[in-house]
Amino acid sequence: MILLIILLIPFVASLLLLLVKHAETVKKLALVSSVLNLLLTFYLLFSGSSTGVATQSYVFAGSQFSLGYDGVSLVMILLTNLLFPFIILAGFNREQKQPQILYALILFAQSALIGVFLAQNAFLFYIFWELSLIPVYFILLLWGGENRRAITLKFFIYTLAGSLFLLFGIIFLYQLTPGLHTTDFAVINQLVIPESTQIWLFWILFIAFAIKMPVFPFHTWQPSTYTMASTQGVMILAGVMTKMGIYGALRFLFPIIPLGVLFWQNTVIILSLIVVIYASVIAFRQANLKKLIAFSSMAHISLMAAAMFVLNYYSIQGVLFQVISHGVTIVALFYLVHIIEEKTGTLELSQMGGIKLIAPRLAILMLIVVLGSIALPLTAGFVGEFLMITGLFQQSVWFAAIGGITMILGAVYMLYAYQRVMLGETRADYKPITDLGLLDYCILIPLILILLGLGVYPQPIFNLVETAVVAMQNFLLPIANVATSFAN
Amino acid sequence: MNAIIFTTILGIVLLYLGLAHNKKILAPAAILGLLITLVLSIKDWNIGSDYFHDMVIFDNFSIAFNVSMIIITILIFLFGIDYYKRMEHHVAEQYSLMIFALIGAFLMTSFSNLIMLFLGIEILSIPLYILAGGKKSSYRSNEASFKYFMLGSFATAFFLFGIALVYGASATFYLPEIKVYISQFNGNLPPMLLIGLLFILIGVAFKVAAAPFHFWSPDVYEGSPTLVTAFMATVVKTAGFAAFFRLLGMGLLPLPVPLEKALWVMTGLSLLIGNIGAMKQGNFKRLLAYSSIAHSGFLMLAMLSQHGSSVSVLLYYTFVYSLATIPLFIIFILVKRASNGEEQIADFRGLYQQKPWLAVFITILLVSLAGIPPTAGFMAKYQVFVLSISHGYLGISIFAILMAIVGVYYYFYVVREVFTESDHLETIVVTKLNAALIIACGLAVIVFGIFTWNLPI
Repeated sequence: MILLIILLIPFVASLLLLLVKHAETVKKLALVSSVLNLLLTFYLLFSGSSTGVATQSYVFAGSQFSLGYDGVSLVMILLTNLLFPFIILAGFNREQKQPQILYALILFAQSALIGVFLAQNAFLFYIFWELSLIPVYFILLLWGGENRRAITLKFFIYTLAGSLFLLFGIIFLYQLTPGLHTTDFAVINQLVIPESTQIWLFWILFIAFAIKMPVFPFHTWQPSTYTMASTQGVMILAGVMTKMGIYGALRFLFPIIPLGVLFWQNTVIILSLIVVIYASVIAFRQANLKKLIAFSSMAHISLMAAAMFVLNYYSIQGVLFQVISHGVTIVALFYLVHIIEEKTGTLELSQMGGIKLIAPRLAILMLIVVLGSIALPLTAGFVGEFLMITGLFQQSVWFAAIGGITMILGAVYMLYAYQRVMLGETRADYKPITDLGLLDYCILIPLILILLGLGVYPQPIFNLVETAVVAMQNFLLPIANVATSFAN
Repeated sequence: MNAIIFTTILGIVLLYLGLAHNKKILAPAAILGLLITLVLSIKDWNIGSDYFHDMVIFDNFSIAFNVSMIIITILIFLFGIDYYKRMEHHVAEQYSLMIFALIGAFLMTSFSNLIMLFLGIEILSIPLYILAGGKKSSYRSNEASFKYFMLGSFATAFFLFGIALVYGASATFYLPEIKVYISQFNGNLPPMLLIGLLFILIGVAFKVAAAPFHFWSPDVYEGSPTLVTAFMATVVKTAGFAAFFRLLGMGLLPLPVPLEKALWVMTGLSLLIGNIGAMKQGNFKRLLAYSSIAHSGFLMLAMLSQHGSSVSVLLYYTFVYSLATIPLFIIFILVKRASNGEEQIADFRGLYQQKPWLAVFITILLVSLAGIPPTAGFMAKYQVFVLSISHGYLGISIFAILMAIVGVYYYFYVVREVFTESDHLETIVVTKLNAALIIACGLAVIVFGIFTWNLPI
């Protein structure tokens, strides 16, 4: 029952918000709903069965509506419910048009995202997958920045194109199931699909996830969309929606078409690593701070994609850990970008400088987050990236080497950006800048504590994903052995 | 049968009511009459009946489609109350012509004989030729009427020629006998029969606006009075596909290879031309015309993939398509009135600023046409793809999916206009009845999407 409650709280709250008149009340209500959901998630995690797998089916209007979770879903749910209170907080004390509709859409998106991560049925998964897109589309279209009309349309078509191929794949799997057809993951996972089919089916399914992540060559929607989006919109996009791609790949590709994955493994790793380098280099050359962060996010996600396809214990553990750490880091980063833009009135790096002298606390907090983003030891980013690169190393030294370069490149462009924003002479044309307010601390301090806490003591997340990682590995090992023995 | 007789009388009565010069009683009378027809039709459920030496067979198939078309016509008439308020003369004729067309549609769902099919198509078409020219003083409306009539006659000629050729070969009009006759050739049909059958299919394809016989539809949709366009896009399409399905099932299956190829080409072309054509339209009615061609492509995909189990899909698809299309036309009329008769998509600008609820509902309707969950349009497309993929038509399914992506583009182009701010806002007046109907259709589209999603699974 608790799964259904977690799914429905944001949905019901979003409907209620539409009836509320006063803007501040709307925001408070939204915050209450999301915090409630976070508490329920913690209850779910600590209620004992958290490491196991559970499925709960509800018969709803005659149709099977089955929700459930395993370690992977729990990580995603935790991330979603952890980030949404901060995403909502980011709008406090700020003038926003039509807050009722904005917060209703945000909560609706949260509900749909939770649905994606809980669905135990590919069809249900698809419904939620699409549902999550619609509120985000409107958040971008109505509250976005410059040139939003063209960019949102591109974003929408791009992601929907991927989804429709996913739909094709789901229907294809559906009609392969024996007897009375079904799309339950439990049944689909048992399917034995010939290798030649798996090889083409891989791309049909993978495109949707590749676009969401995004992986080369499906990434072209991302930088402009991130740059144009409102802060809350980009937090949802970068913090949570990119993880949908990773979750989808773990849910669909590895259990259902392992042979296809093995066949394309190296191709995907190489494509992802190309993006890692490419995005890092572009990030270094960016003149716009928000775009720089967008490209850095692209590099990090691509590294996760590469590691995911290595298919060994360390890499999958690392990816799941990095899901949380990247989500938290990127939300904090985008919030910082938002503060800087508010205070200086610009995002162009060439017009910034010397903020440290006027706002030292902002500079310190930003430094911590930036260091977390470049995966310095003692931050959560380090744990994740270290595990992923260990995983890559087991596949090939070269992969690990290229993966390792990203950490260096990351340090280069992030520190270079930090230097240009914070250090140096203070620009004369700034309005008097105040340092951080109470609200900013409320958002940044918890996020930073999570980053540092998980960096020092990552065990809780490892415990959470342990069974899932082992299960994933067991699923792939026999097939991998068969494949290698054939090759020999 | 009672339904047909009653509807015929209803049409004539409405004509005479027009003499009373009281517009107000027309719509209620017509709607009441259609409700009675609805009851009469439903009463025949599960009681198969045939008339005129099996020339007309009323089975559950025809009743289901008839009921669907009656409901849609009632919906159009309800919207008509407001639409015809501004028209001074000949309102009664409008209603009765639509009812006469509906009778043709009834025949098209229940024929078992080529002559009956021909009669059905003609009874449906002739009132439409007149209705298309309903705005006598409008240049465009006259053009639409004349174009529709010319091309329609042309298609009818093909159709009749085809019937003659088939009769010449098989010496019968009766479809089950034609089926037996065809089956004796084991697929190697004599040229005369083959050409005859092809011409018959072309005649029907013209009515459902399947490419490459679609050229009339954008012009006619654009020029006709908008309510008539809504009627054409929905009732005529439903009737056309019912006839198509019945023609194939009763007479032509298993399809001879050349015909099957021809139909697959039509499917592919409809998907391609419909979707690509809609992309660059500035006129909203033309956009919906191309979108209707595209939907014909999806319906043909379902019908050709697996004929036997596509009945419910066709019914569901045409019904929810109509449910979404009619309110779109109505909203368009309201917006058009506010912007002094312009028919551009850009007229939708500022709708969200002015009437947010209307913007929400137009979005729901467009989302349904684009086939995105949780709307009924998604379930319809999903079922089409289940049919086509599970019977191994993977190539064309992928092609259809690509075309569906193009579809999302032009539907969301309209959504984008709706949510774009505009500097000069004109007041959009929505009567209470229209508002209620638009909301009801929008909600129905969602309810049908959620509560039938267990159908195929």
